[in-house]
Amino acid sequence: MKRVLTVLLLMMFCLSFVVANGSQEVAVSDEITIVVMPKLVGIPYFNASETGAIQAGKDLGINVIYTGPTTPDAAEQVRMLEDLISKGVDAICVAPNDAAAMTPVLMKAKKAGIAVLDWDTPADASVVDLSIHQIDDREYGEHIWDLLVQEMGDTGDYAIVTGGLSAANLNTWIDAGLAYAKKQYPGLNLVTGKVPTDEKQQVAYQKTLDLIKAYPNLKGVVGVSTPAPLGAAQAVQEKGMKDSIAVVGTSLPTDSGPYLADESLRVGTLWDPAKLGYLTVVMAYNFLNGEKPQDGQEIANVGKISVWADGRTVIMGPPADFTKENYASFSF
Amino acid sequence: MKSGVKKLIVSKEGILFCIFLFVFFLMSLLSPGRFLSWYNLQSMAYQLPEFGILALSMMIVIVTGGINLSLTYTATLSMIVGGMVMANISAAGGNGILAVLAGIVIMIGMASLCGVFNGFVVAYIGVTPMLATLGAMTLFEGISLNITKGGAISGFPFEFLMIGSGTVLGIPIPMILFILIIVGTWLFLERSKMGMSIYMIGCNPKVALYSGVRVKRIIFQTYLIASVLAAIAGVLMASRYNSAKESYGSSYLLQAVAASVLGGTNISGGEGKIAGTVIAVMILQVISSGLNIFGLNRYLTNVVMGGILIVVLTINFLTEKRSK
Amino acid sequence: MNIKSLKIKELPILLILLLLSLIITIANPTFLTVENFLDILKSNLVLAMMALGMLMVLLTGGIDVSVASIIAAVTVITGQSLIHFSSNIFVTILVACLSGTLMGLVNGLLIAKLKIPPIVATLGTMSVILGLVLYLTNGAWITGIPDSFIEFGRITLFSFELVDGRTIGFPVQVLFLIPVIFLTWFILKKTVIGRGIYAIGGNLESAERMGFKADRILIFVYSFEGFLIGLAAVVHTSIMRQVDPNAFLGFEMQVIAAVVLGGASVLGGFGSVLGTVIGVSLFCVINNGLILMHIPVFWQKIVVGLIIIGSISIDMIQKQRVEKNKIRVDVE
Repeated sequence: MKRVLTVLLLMMFCLSFVVANGSQEVAVSDEITIVVMPKLVGIPYFNASETGAIQAGKDLGINVIYTGPTTPDAAEQVRMLEDLISKGVDAICVAPNDAAAMTPVLMKAKKAGIAVLDWDTPADASVVDLSIHQIDDREYGEHIWDLLVQEMGDTGDYAIVTGGLSAANLNTWIDAGLAYAKKQYPGLNLVTGKVPTDEKQQVAYQKTLDLIKAYPNLKGVVGVSTPAPLGAAQAVQEKGMKDSIAVVGTSLPTDSGPYLADESLRVGTLWDPAKLGYLTVVMAYNFLNGEKPQDGQEIANVGKISVWADGRTVIMGPPADFTKENYASFSF
Repeated sequence: MKSGVKKLIVSKEGILFCIFLFVFFLMSLLSPGRFLSWYNLQSMAYQLPEFGILALSMMIVIVTGGINLSLTYTATLSMIVGGMVMANISAAGGNGILAVLAGIVIMIGMASLCGVFNGFVVAYIGVTPMLATLGAMTLFEGISLNITKGGAISGFPFEFLMIGSGTVLGIPIPMILFILIIVGTWLFLERSKMGMSIYMIGCNPKVALYSGVRVKRIIFQTYLIASVLAAIAGVLMASRYNSAKESYGSSYLLQAVAASVLGGTNISGGEGKIAGTVIAVMILQVISSGLNIFGLNRYLTNVVMGGILIVVLTINFLTEKRSK
Repeated sequence: MNIKSLKIKELPILLILLLLSLIITIANPTFLTVENFLDILKSNLVLAMMALGMLMVLLTGGIDVSVASIIAAVTVITGQSLIHFSSNIFVTILVACLSGTLMGLVNGLLIAKLKIPPIVATLGTMSVILGLVLYLTNGAWITGIPDSFIEFGRITLFSFELVDGRTIGFPVQVLFLIPVIFLTWFILKKTVIGRGIYAIGGNLESAERMGFKADRILIFVYSFEGFLIGLAAVVHTSIMRQVDPNAFLGFEMQVIAAVVLGGASVLGGFGSVLGTVIGVSLFCVINNGLILMHIPVFWQKIVVGLIIIGSISIDMIQKQRVEKNKIRVDVE
């Protein structure tokens, strides 16, 4: 019985090679397939961009695959990209967990004749055909600090709670903001290094509680990464200190509604991730058709984009700020 | 002859191999022309070794009755330290091959330090392996972060990248390394005197002690060897990703435990074959790549992997029960 | 005699806890305020409740790495039930505990009936449960929890006014923890099941020979753990007021570490409720102290790792010394 089974399996194994070789042509279909890979799947931010990317696929009549690792691990991302190159696609748009780690696999993709784009977080500039940014990273960092000063004043103690110590884009914004504050707002005093919160609201909540006690003169908290401002706002709210401590940060307006409503979160600032997903797919599609992005070009459902002098860095536009008054009018 | 074949098929490894064939066939059917393309087979041959070596490293520790949760952070800490040296030599205009050699030596040296630390705490102080290595995991991650400040170490010489992407006679270099390590660990674990002692310790450390095995020393050495294996996986990862960062491969940790156990290693020690672990690694690789090419939702892939783990162990249980 | 040896077992780890608290207090007296104590309590209730369930599992010689996935699933179910079914607190508790118990029961059946080693069975259920949760929710947060439930979560007991005019008090969620501590203690110390749990962990075969039904006890232990996770999910939701399916990624290791820090053996048979409570406290105090002591972020993980290894090593060396003395007494 067992032996029969083994023989059967071995036959199936051999058969699979035959089947595979026979159907080789099937792999080459004329439909355009664009892969959009986020840093990880299953978090609100990247879910929102998924809806945008899929919608763009529908509007353009092309096949969009939105897939990514379940943990923000560069190794897992590289493996998935390698598999997708095997699958045979036309364009790969990736939000790298780590720019350097992607370089070899993206070069492989290029060799295989696949268009390579990055989105959300830049990859190695020498291997990408186009780079889709939601925002100018430096301006965004400066904008966050402007909001902080607007809410807490330009002197006093403040702290930063961030998603993780090794998240490249969060670090870029924080570094830009810190450099700007040093020049522009010398009265601001950062009490301790950016505090990591594991991309979790409850950790941001605990850490902020500790920060409030460790630094009694705290006047402001900057939350970078989407759950961080919420945890910080919750801590401030529960301590009854929302009047003396100003929380600002990068949060999604729908999730942060309850905290914006009572002003424990003063201002949130972010772009619409769905638009970013949409823009990425449109740009990839245009690129495959030989169209280059133009500065000031109007993209349907997204708006006017700007393009840097290098001709391949696309900026979607300024972020939206959410406050008590206007958060309900946003849908992401 | 007939009974020999039967024995082989009924053995855990035999069942596993049948499952491998079945999964391979299934994936070929799911994505005809793509899964079985030369390109994909080669790409899987590049992916498999780093995870496979980590799984073997985890396995030999599990056979002693321990576990090593600091495994992936040992690999990344050593690749960060070694990578820094390599990048610095390279940036100073030093000879590429020399830089690579220095880097690799330092990576293995750093991993040995990690292994000595774990081995000392587990074997000589007697701390439960799970807690000792959990503490070490946090510690190594902390040291890595302290060195990199959250960034990645890059700027390796060109020669280093060849390790992860080159081929010899059409066979990827990582695969060749992996095969050498399979043979090496097999000789070590299943054919050497020390390997015998490891199995004895895993079965019952007290009995091992009374039969003259130097239990503490052997456990210490096992953690050391496992860490060196982790460093080799680290070399492959650093080379394939052209950089070093503390979080690389963190998803491999629990997968390595799963692969060992799927391969028939007894989690409480004393039992397990290299062949089983290797086949289990192959099964996980084929499922992961196959379902990814097929385009299944990534979360459902996790569900499938978890399901297979449970099903295989249930089959093992049932066959063992029947043979009794 | 028995009581005496018990005291000795938990003494070293208790001393470490006190010593650590002393050091933190010297560095920052805020540590020793009622407010800080209440903050620590509130943000670690979930950890404590899950740790007590894990204690029982470890005592049988098992382990459960699926706890984080189970609580993620239960919080999602709880959130949906609160919004779409009933905002009644008792109904919510019932729903949560029922679903938690069911998932624990599956683990128990796999382990007791199919004899799959606990770590493997729970590794399997971990991927299956978490995979399904994230597939079904796509990681989206559940917001819009009914106000009545949020208000319930805000109740404080024995409130009093601070010098600066703010009011603080025991969070209502403590009402969940205290009975859980008592119940776990009662089961372990005063019931036949409890004796069975220790006996199984000591030696499965001799326990069965003594007449304990190992199957039933194992199924009970894993189901009970699921039940506690259900309660913890209610507590978590009432504190966080929204549900993030990703909130517990990696949490299983913290739970296990806290229990083992408290002196429980992963090989089974050793461990107590008191030890676990001390272990959890030690864990919380380390985390709380990091910011209060103004330890730079890039040193925090190093400090945590060293404290874990250091304290357990001291504990171990102490135990070995006691063992040696005992042997000497025996020989004499």
